[in-house]
Amino acid sequence: MDLFLAIFTGTIVAATPLIFAALGELVVEKSGVLNLGIEGMMLMGAAFAFWAVISGLPMPVAIVIGALAGAAASLLFGVLALTFLTNQYAAGLALAIFGSGVSAFLGRNFGSTPIDALKPVHIPLLSDIPVLGPMLFRFDPLVYLAIVMFAVISWFLYRTKGGLVLRTIGESPETAHAIGYPVIKIRYMAVLFGGLMAGLAGAYLSVAYTPLWVENMTAGKGWIALALVVFATWRPLRVLLGAWLFGGMTILQLQGQALGLAVPSELLSALPYLATIVVLVIISRNRQILALHFPASLAKPFRPAS
Amino acid sequence: MHNLNRRQFLQYSSAVGAAIGTGGFAGIANAQEVLKMGVVYVSPIAEIGWTKQHSLAVDAVKAELGDKVEITVIDNIFMPQDAERVFRELAASGNRLIFGTSFSHGTPLQKVAPRFPKVAFEHCSGIVHLPNLGTFEAKYYEGCYVAGAAGAHMSKTGKIGFIGGFPIPDIVGPANALLLGAQSVNPDITCNALFLNSWFDPGKEKEAANTLVSQGCDVICSMTDTATGVQVAGEKGAWSIGYASDMSKFGSGKQLTAFTLDWSSDYLRAAKGVLEGNWKPEVRWDGLAAGVVKMAPYNEAIPADVIAKLKQLEADIGSGKVHPYAGELKDQDGNVKVPAGAVLADADIRGMNWFVKGMIGKLS
Repeated sequence: MDLFLAIFTGTIVAATPLIFAALGELVVEKSGVLNLGIEGMMLMGAAFAFWAVISGLPMPVAIVIGALAGAAASLLFGVLALTFLTNQYAAGLALAIFGSGVSAFLGRNFGSTPIDALKPVHIPLLSDIPVLGPMLFRFDPLVYLAIVMFAVISWFLYRTKGGLVLRTIGESPETAHAIGYPVIKIRYMAVLFGGLMAGLAGAYLSVAYTPLWVENMTAGKGWIALALVVFATWRPLRVLLGAWLFGGMTILQLQGQALGLAVPSELLSALPYLATIVVLVIISRNRQILALHFPASLAKPFRPAS
Repeated sequence: MHNLNRRQFLQYSSAVGAAIGTGGFAGIANAQEVLKMGVVYVSPIAEIGWTKQHSLAVDAVKAELGDKVEITVIDNIFMPQDAERVFRELAASGNRLIFGTSFSHGTPLQKVAPRFPKVAFEHCSGIVHLPNLGTFEAKYYEGCYVAGAAGAHMSKTGKIGFIGGFPIPDIVGPANALLLGAQSVNPDITCNALFLNSWFDPGKEKEAANTLVSQGCDVICSMTDTATGVQVAGEKGAWSIGYASDMSKFGSGKQLTAFTLDWSSDYLRAAKGVLEGNWKPEVRWDGLAAGVVKMAPYNEAIPADVIAKLKQLEADIGSGKVHPYAGELKDQDGNVKVPAGAVLADADIRGMNWFVKGMIGKLS
């Protein structure tokens, strides 16, 4: 039971930064913009949130600062890709490298100072329920926020007019423009939102998940989030499931290694990647449905004909 | 202008050869000149970790030799192709002593060193030696053995956890030593070993430490380059053992000790050697005796008599009275690898690719 609890809670926590970053990117891509710079935005978020904590700011403020740092970084991408219509792949990659460099520069000043991590919540009554309490009601607040964000984004994309407009812009910016929607402005908002979420993911890493600052501490999570969006075929629920699957397999392979399974550790380490790709490819193999969810104008620059 | 015919040329070159042969590296040295020295780090200089310990050694050189040395430091060079360019630039710009600090710097050093025969190269954790390329390495296993003994004294569950980067001899060997040290106190103790298959991934390291704690390990040794393992163990109420630097400030008071690395003697020896003109490429492999491996201050929670025993163990390993890999050593399946009375040969220590009895985990 303890082992199951450890695997279950470990999965939920490990998936949280991926959920933030991947859901943010999902919204960006749904608007027809491809931002490859998640890794850079996450690192900015991580560095700024950490900096805020060691400067003595309260934890919620630090997390907001982290999210804003991610958004500020994404604004750079927005200016390049949306205003100057540069190649989105190049602009995104530049942001990834830029964010890694700037965060490293910033991080030089705070080294590896230990901080007090974001504390888990204690909900009266709920947290004390046997079995379910420790399983579901003893996480830190950001874990719950990730689930809330999933609900909000799903609702926004598929149940509101704003979501419909965003998806329309992702499908055919010309059409949206023709009926009078400000395509560039809405894409900016999507990009900023994506940055906010990536910043939040980064902040989660540096103040809650592994509460310390080390250069490039995201260790590729931004790229995994990017891949998750593609393999989840641009659908929020599958992003969520994919993140849990990836987190779960990571924990399971470590548990397997520690138990002494007769499988080489190299192979076990590859398992999360293999399993996530295989499962998501299998559930998304219907080409028609795939085409239905893929934003047709993804990564294509749009210049309003005025 | 010298016009040399072939015979004269041969005479010249043999004379030069003889001069080099008798004078060793005298040709390189010039006692009056300032020694330009280049050091290439594999990662940025953080507050703790592998590169930090190298930077401390560079500081020691500065402190002791002062104006006699001029040091250029280049950090965050991991990829061999980048390293080759950096080494070549350092050598071409007049540095007479150049340090590589990572295994990944090996191949580039082997390529660059022959092109600059008058430059002395030193490679930390290297395995290949050339006429102007020396290597130095620490006997991590000596520190690991002592740390393991400390862990066994404090463990209640009789299970130790080990986290390493990749399952290579440099990591497998210390993992074995950790368990052997622990078994010297409690013969029934076991060790679960986890490999991240990554040199750097704090998130995965956290999950690894969590996993080990959830499987009942109450002493966690993390031989990676961040304090995450020590930190997570502390949060979960498990003891921890740090590596490279003292990580006690991350451990919530639960770091038992750390086996730290102090390369000062290696750097100073090489710098003085080049300054005095008697530098030779060496194969240095030192541990507790030479102070290259040092135990961080023991946790106050360890009873005083146990600390006395651990200090005695340090001294005994240093003097050679105790050898961490002394027989009888059995592998996981119970086959005798080292008979009683013998010790594992040095070459076998550096190539250790098998787990000792009591290790839980699978090597490919």
